[in-house]
Amino acid sequence: MKEARKIEALFEVLRIVASLAIAYVIALLVLFFVSDEPLFVIQQFVLGPFSSPRRIGSIINLAVPFVLCGLGMCFIYSVGKLNMMGDGIFMLSGCIVTFVGLRIGGLGLPAPLVWLILMLVGGLVGVMCIYLPAWLDVKLGVSVIVVSILANTILSELSQYILQFQMRDPSASYLASFPLDPSVSLPKFLPSSLKLQSGILVAAALYLLSVVLLHKTTLGYKMRMVGANAKMARAAGMSVASTIIIAQLIGGFLAGVGGAMEIMSNYTRFLWTDTTGHGFDGLMVAVLAKKDPKYVPITALLLAYIRIGSDVVNSSSSIPNEFVSVIQCIIILLVAAEMFLTKQRNKLICKAAEANLKQEQQKQPA
Amino acid sequence: MENEVLRMQNITKIYSNGFVANKDVTFGVEKGEIHALVGENGAGKTTLMKILFGMERNEEGSILINGEEIHITSPLDSIAKGVGMVHQHFMLVPSLTVAENVVLGVEPMSGGLFDFDEAVKETQRIADKYNFDVDAKLPVRDLSVGQMQKVEILKALIKGAKILIMDEPTAVLTPQETRELFEQLQILKEDGHSIIFISHKLEEVMEICDRVTVLRHGRCLGTYDIKDMTETKISRLMVGRDVVLKMDKPQHDRGEVVLELDKVVKINSIGKRVLNGLSLQVRKGEIVGIAGVEGNGQSELASAICGLDAHSAGLIKINDVDIAGKPIKDIRELGLAVISEDRMVDGVAADRSIRENIISDRFDKPEFKKGIFMNNKYINQVVDECIQEFEIACDDRDQPVRMLSGGNIQKVVVAREFTSGRNVVLACQPTRGIDVGTAEMIRKYIIKMTREKNAAVLLISADLNEVLECSDRLLVMRAGKIVGAFNSAKDVTEDTLGEYMLGIRTMSDEELEAAL
Amino acid sequence: MYTWFIDFLFSVIKLSTPIVFATLACDISRKAGVYNMSTEGNMLISALASVVIAGHFNSVWAGLLGGVLTGVLMAAIIGYAHLIGKTNMYLTGLAFNTAATGGTVFVMFMLCGEKTSTNAAIRSYTIPQLNIPFIRDIPVLGKILSGHYLLTYIAALSIFLVWFMLKRTRLGLRMRSIAENPQAAESVGVSVVKVRYISFLISGFLAGLGGAYMSMAYVSFFSRGMVAGRGWIGVSAMNMANGNPIGSSIAALFFGFTDTLSVSLQAFNIPIQFVNMIPYVATILALIIMNILRIRHEKAAEKARLMSVMEKEAASLEK
Repeated sequence: MKEARKIEALFEVLRIVASLAIAYVIALLVLFFVSDEPLFVIQQFVLGPFSSPRRIGSIINLAVPFVLCGLGMCFIYSVGKLNMMGDGIFMLSGCIVTFVGLRIGGLGLPAPLVWLILMLVGGLVGVMCIYLPAWLDVKLGVSVIVVSILANTILSELSQYILQFQMRDPSASYLASFPLDPSVSLPKFLPSSLKLQSGILVAAALYLLSVVLLHKTTLGYKMRMVGANAKMARAAGMSVASTIIIAQLIGGFLAGVGGAMEIMSNYTRFLWTDTTGHGFDGLMVAVLAKKDPKYVPITALLLAYIRIGSDVVNSSSSIPNEFVSVIQCIIILLVAAEMFLTKQRNKLICKAAEANLKQEQQKQPA
Repeated sequence: MENEVLRMQNITKIYSNGFVANKDVTFGVEKGEIHALVGENGAGKTTLMKILFGMERNEEGSILINGEEIHITSPLDSIAKGVGMVHQHFMLVPSLTVAENVVLGVEPMSGGLFDFDEAVKETQRIADKYNFDVDAKLPVRDLSVGQMQKVEILKALIKGAKILIMDEPTAVLTPQETRELFEQLQILKEDGHSIIFISHKLEEVMEICDRVTVLRHGRCLGTYDIKDMTETKISRLMVGRDVVLKMDKPQHDRGEVVLELDKVVKINSIGKRVLNGLSLQVRKGEIVGIAGVEGNGQSELASAICGLDAHSAGLIKINDVDIAGKPIKDIRELGLAVISEDRMVDGVAADRSIRENIISDRFDKPEFKKGIFMNNKYINQVVDECIQEFEIACDDRDQPVRMLSGGNIQKVVVAREFTSGRNVVLACQPTRGIDVGTAEMIRKYIIKMTREKNAAVLLISADLNEVLECSDRLLVMRAGKIVGAFNSAKDVTEDTLGEYMLGIRTMSDEELEAAL
Repeated sequence: MYTWFIDFLFSVIKLSTPIVFATLACDISRKAGVYNMSTEGNMLISALASVVIAGHFNSVWAGLLGGVLTGVLMAAIIGYAHLIGKTNMYLTGLAFNTAATGGTVFVMFMLCGEKTSTNAAIRSYTIPQLNIPFIRDIPVLGKILSGHYLLTYIAALSIFLVWFMLKRTRLGLRMRSIAENPQAAESVGVSVVKVRYISFLISGFLAGLGGAYMSMAYVSFFSRGMVAGRGWIGVSAMNMANGNPIGSSIAALFFGFTDTLSVSLQAFNIPIQFVNMIPYVATILALIIMNILRIRHEKAAEKARLMSVMEKEAASLEK
């Protein structure tokens, strides 16, 4: 019996690795065919992200919002809901945080307090936004996926309205907010060659909190049970509806903090005119991590590596980095395909069981 | 014998979990007869018919139709050979019309389009031929249950069925509809069709069948001419016990009433009274068994008691508190422990570990928590104790439940419910589909609960052996009501029990009261 | 005011067309028992394919054909993943739509060196507009109904054709039976996977038409993300009428109306962003209202059932 467990675990990893490998090979093939100098481009895609400390640093920095959105999606997905509000929340949170940052930056408040306030503001935006589709789903049975995707556009328009009419800097030559006070920006730490941002510390803290929350607390336990079998959870007396909503609120909070940190780490003004796609990136990170926050940093780094690879390709050749989204789609489809490698796994489990049986039979006469 | 249209020879079917559903069953049907197939729940009737209809494969044995051996791999093969099945749960599409349902799969076409008029005509033609009174143009959802059944029969006939399997056809019908069905079956019979009639209602078997084959525990006890039989004779054949279970059950005094149902009514989604004024009481320290043919309201009774599906009228009290309108959690807190009917649906979360499943009803009790955290040390200790006490065969407490055998999964449920410290136990089909050894263990635990912990147990089971041996008092349930009550289960014979279960006898309210 | 009103209604029809296609694409899957979430991405890909193929062959018809075939091909891929690979449809739809957003930009850039639109690089073709004799001469109505792009009339026809297909063909009958009770269909030898696969292909065909309309009629070029949620609005319209092509097309027209409203309100001094939100807010509100009504209806039906049983019994007791 132990063997079956081992084989299952092995295949879980194998499926993900194989999915990544297949998608990666497809990516390389695409690059090979669309490029005039295929070998150079492929080399850039694969090794480019490691070619300088700066780039390694940017993988890590890029992974920070992926970690946050991925953790958020782990909670949302662990109760079996596909609430895709993360995208809109990320953008609106960035916008509101800028709006608030413009007002409290430069007031002379201690910088850490400003950071804390802004992150909480971002998280709060997320919680408030995600409550609507979550509540509508639980109370009225309105499809959470449809509402959240339509609502993303609303949040995006709302952000653009705030940008254009409430904080636009008329002196800027493009549509952008007034510049933020430098005290709002999170400091770079280790001013070494890696140029790591301090957001990484926040992400690490939230990562630990998420792991603890989902695995060590009673609330997290409830979420996992509701996600695994809602009927059984109900029969055992758990409050299924509220657990489902709370999990999504946590997801919204994390996406909101992600948006706040993105602005505080990488921008001096708010200038997004469209959503950034972090909601879907979060989903991909969570799917690869099998809904377990524990593995989120790894999968987030993996996604960041692919992204930086495509950026390197983009800057050193004429190939746009959007091809990565197709690769992401293939990875998700393969990981989500129940049938992918299932036959092989079952064969192996059968074999192990048969071998076990034989061993027992051999033992018996003796 | 030259008239024999179907012969199933030495059929053996073993399910992948090792359960022997049919053992060496031989069964023949003649042209133009109505042949009853009777047996208790789990006797193997449905499996045998599923084999004939290509929904299951037999390990051994052969099937002959008109003397010719055939190999059936799917329902299509059976349909092609002239076998039709009217399933107990209708296979109908509610929003489609009668005609559309009837011709589905063999649609008449004209000019590349589905020819609705032709479908109506054909349906009407066959309906008229066998005197079926249905309007082919009506949507099926507007039909009565009896009419839906006619549609099912028409579906089989239009595909040329000569052998018709009817799986408990009268279970859902009113007496009038049953009359009508019997008349139609007679017409079919006279037309040379053979009908295999699966039923628990012996008076019906006596009335319309020519011969009867009795199955018990997967074995065939022979085929008899109806004219040589009586209801009582058949019932004795059906309800016999092969191995008499003996449970060691020390004498014990009963305490006060802790579970009380008074005239409980449940009306289901199609307006049927599935619980029809049911009353019962369970006292501390006793096991009250509910015997009955499945589908007579037992599941609904269980759902009502644990609050999963609220009852329509009447009173349910647990430890003297009315449960009406209470959330499930509160009902459980009143002292209710539940072994649910389908353990994979309501009993466990299959993908989660033994540990997580065992604590699912108590994780937020103070001793299992440390602030907002789970008290893992204590939890592990409790879970390990459960695994030991209930002898759950597993690698360790973190093994996902789905990797355990059925019996061990049930032990996980039992371990959780019997260590919860609750004093009213609702045990639904507690040993269904699990191996003999584990079943025996679970029954012992149930007895122990009452004898040592003074709990009250309501045992709902389709396994006669189980209810007879485990129960102190015994009730028989039929058509959503208690129709028989026995103060001492020991003194009841299976013959008497069978007669109540199968509707040959019924106690009046006064008798019921007097019996307890 | 009069001409404004005529223009407005004309626009409603113009803007409803792609939503009708999206809705029908969702309907056809729903009626085979699948919630198809990939229409959004499929329309986007088909829109690009239409422009590119039309430009390549210098023919608007080649473009239309190419767009539709692309739609069918994409649906075949989605169908394979969902029906054969057994992927979760929601996840599949999300992944596919995201891939479509990025993938179209990638292809567009490789072909035109542009990331926002094909306008400059590929010669644009427009599906012809039709002035229908007789109808165009009807006062008022003629001005609203005549002079649309060919695909608008095809959309109107498609509503009828989808309805007819579901109602009158063998495939339609089998699809409906599978949506309601797959076991019943399977028990009489109808292959669920096969019928669902065919429904996916038809759904892709309709999405392809919708995509072609976006890039060769609604505007005459491809721009990134141009489908802008219409596929999801189609899902909502489908939801509201439970996949009934007539009912959901009426919902689609309503969403087309809100779309037009938002376009016309742009002339006023209202922040454009709020105007842009209108279709999405309207869709969500419509879904909410629809579900509240549905729940009320079910509760009332349940109550009525209980009452009728009780009454009958009371009556029989009196006897």
